Amino acid sequence: MGQLTEMLTQIISYTSIYALASLGIVIGGRTGVFNISGEGIMLASASAGFIAAYQTGSWFMGFVVGALMGGLFALILIYIHEKLKISQFILGITLVILGTGLSDLLYKTAIGVQLFAPEAPRVPDIRIPGLSNIPIISAIFNQDVIVYFTYIAVFIAFYIFYHTRIGLETRAIGEDPKAADVVGINVKLRRYVTTIIGGMFMGLAGAYLPLVVTGTYTTNISNGRGFMAIGIAIFASWRPERALLGSFIFAAIEVISFQQQLGASMFPYQFLLMLPFISVLLIMWLFNKKVEFPAALGKPYSRE
Amino acid sequence: MAVEEKTIEENSNWQKFWNGFKPYILALVIAFGISGAIIGILGYNIPKAYQTLLFTSFSSQRGFVETLKKFIPLTFATYAFAIPFRIKFFNIGGWGQMLFGGTITAIVGIGLAGLNLPAIIFIPILILSAMLAGALFALIAGFLKAYYNINPIISTIMLNFIAFYFVNFVATNAPWKAPQSGHPMTLKLPEAALLPKVFNQIHFGIVLVILAIIAIYYLMNKTVLGYEIKATGINPDASSVYGIKMKKTLMITFLIAGAMGGLGGGIEVMGVHSRLIEGFALTSGAQYGIFGILTALICQGKPLGVPLSAMFISILLVGADAMQRTLQVPVELVFLTQAIIVLMIVVLRRQAGGSYIE
Repeated sequence: MGQLTEMLTQIISYTSIYALASLGIVIGGRTGVFNISGEGIMLASASAGFIAAYQTGSWFMGFVVGALMGGLFALILIYIHEKLKISQFILGITLVILGTGLSDLLYKTAIGVQLFAPEAPRVPDIRIPGLSNIPIISAIFNQDVIVYFTYIAVFIAFYIFYHTRIGLETRAIGEDPKAADVVGINVKLRRYVTTIIGGMFMGLAGAYLPLVVTGTYTTNISNGRGFMAIGIAIFASWRPERALLGSFIFAAIEVISFQQQLGASMFPYQFLLMLPFISVLLIMWLFNKKVEFPAALGKPYSRE
Repeated sequence: MAVEEKTIEENSNWQKFWNGFKPYILALVIAFGISGAIIGILGYNIPKAYQTLLFTSFSSQRGFVETLKKFIPLTFATYAFAIPFRIKFFNIGGWGQMLFGGTITAIVGIGLAGLNLPAIIFIPILILSAMLAGALFALIAGFLKAYYNINPIISTIMLNFIAFYFVNFVATNAPWKAPQSGHPMTLKLPEAALLPKVFNQIHFGIVLVILAIIAIYYLMNKTVLGYEIKATGINPDASSVYGIKMKKTLMITFLIAGAMGGLGGGIEVMGVHSRLIEGFALTSGAQYGIFGILTALICQGKPLGVPLSAMFISILLVGADAMQRTLQVPVELVFLTQAIIVLMIVVLRRQAGGSYIE
């Protein structure tokens, strides 16, 4: 029982990485901006966030700087896209390289090579009294601050998108920017805002890696998770609450396959690791009609 | 009169030439300006850093061979992106196609080891398996786009990961795994399966890459298929009216792209590592697939532009490695430089009225 609870605790912690990153993609996607640069953002934010936390001794500063870095990347993307209507995908891929280069460059410059891996200040845990003592369920209620933040963020995003006027209007932009524009919604402004907020969430996901998951920064720390988040957003049909579910599944597969890797297992763990990617392909293939995309996703909008 | 006309014509030709090149030159100036500033801020010697970055490839024979070694896989990775890009589809899966092609090459190579085939038969078999493996792997993405309208960007990213774990599986499991190796790798391929050296320096892949450049040029410029691809890229609706089947063209471009990627991976296995080894399609710590995309974006995926910009990026990569070795300037700086070059080229070309809309 204890072992199971421990594993579940780890899965839920990993869920935060995917949930924050895919939530970022979902939020931007809702106004039609498909930011595929998550991998680059996560790397750059992991590095910048770690450096900030290490230098100031405050984990909170780490997340602030990580989010700002993510916002900056998103700003570059949306600014060039809105100004020149250059493909979001081209910009996104370029930003992936930019982030990959920037992450190690920043780290090598600010911290350099050290004999012992420098450690990040600890992110405090919150144990909900009572609930954190029940086996299994305690996995949900014995987590670091950011995990709770993730739950709240997903809930707020869900609430805004589906239960407020502002959310309805924002979703309308992703479906038909022209119609939204006609009824007086400021398409350009909303696209800027959602893209930047989305980038900040990806940045938080990046900062979470060195500050919570590994405790220190390593090269290529995000290891493709920024790309996996795209798969989760699709799996979730761009709904925040489903993104959380998808993130849990991806996290579970990652943690379970990691344990398989350690123990001698008959089943090759590589196929387990392939599973999320195969399932994204299968879901898109088999449930082709059921996977909903915002209709204007990835398309530029100009008034004339 | 006649003389005057001629000068005007020459002028306008010169003007055209200059307008075509202006974005590139400006982009280079800006990108190298920014990275120069960073080098300066970090306290390194700027002229020395630039000298190393740009001239290492030409300063010694070894430097030049190193450049070619990067040029070969990079060119294949670039074609993998460039060909579907001609009809405005994005194949992010060049890396996965390289990995898959390389893995199948190793599987076939190890599988046929017992037959003692002569090199003249063995190598062509492996080249074909690499191309076929890459092509079929890429076709998954082409098929999903053609019949289920699934964005190739998404499907190829997913396929990249599948290929990555497939490499890991083959490199860590019997019967392919090399015994007692810490890093995941397979057994060595038989001698007859390895690419011979030409000029005693560089493996036979250099000949294959030149053949590929000629073949792609011929295909795109001198064949009906190439014409159809071009027409589809310019105007998909109009070309379907004239009977060019969009789905067919789409899948063929992915097949060719995958064959190029797969061959690039197979050549790395047969020519460089002599075995499948995890991380074999990496350079300066990043995947060739991503560099291939940048390289293709620099030249807009034009068939003859590909080797030119691949050569340019290879020079930068070799220079960056040397810069890290001798001056301790982090190699990642060159990723930054390249990203800025591409961003600037895309932006400036668009500002000059180029069609870069998607």
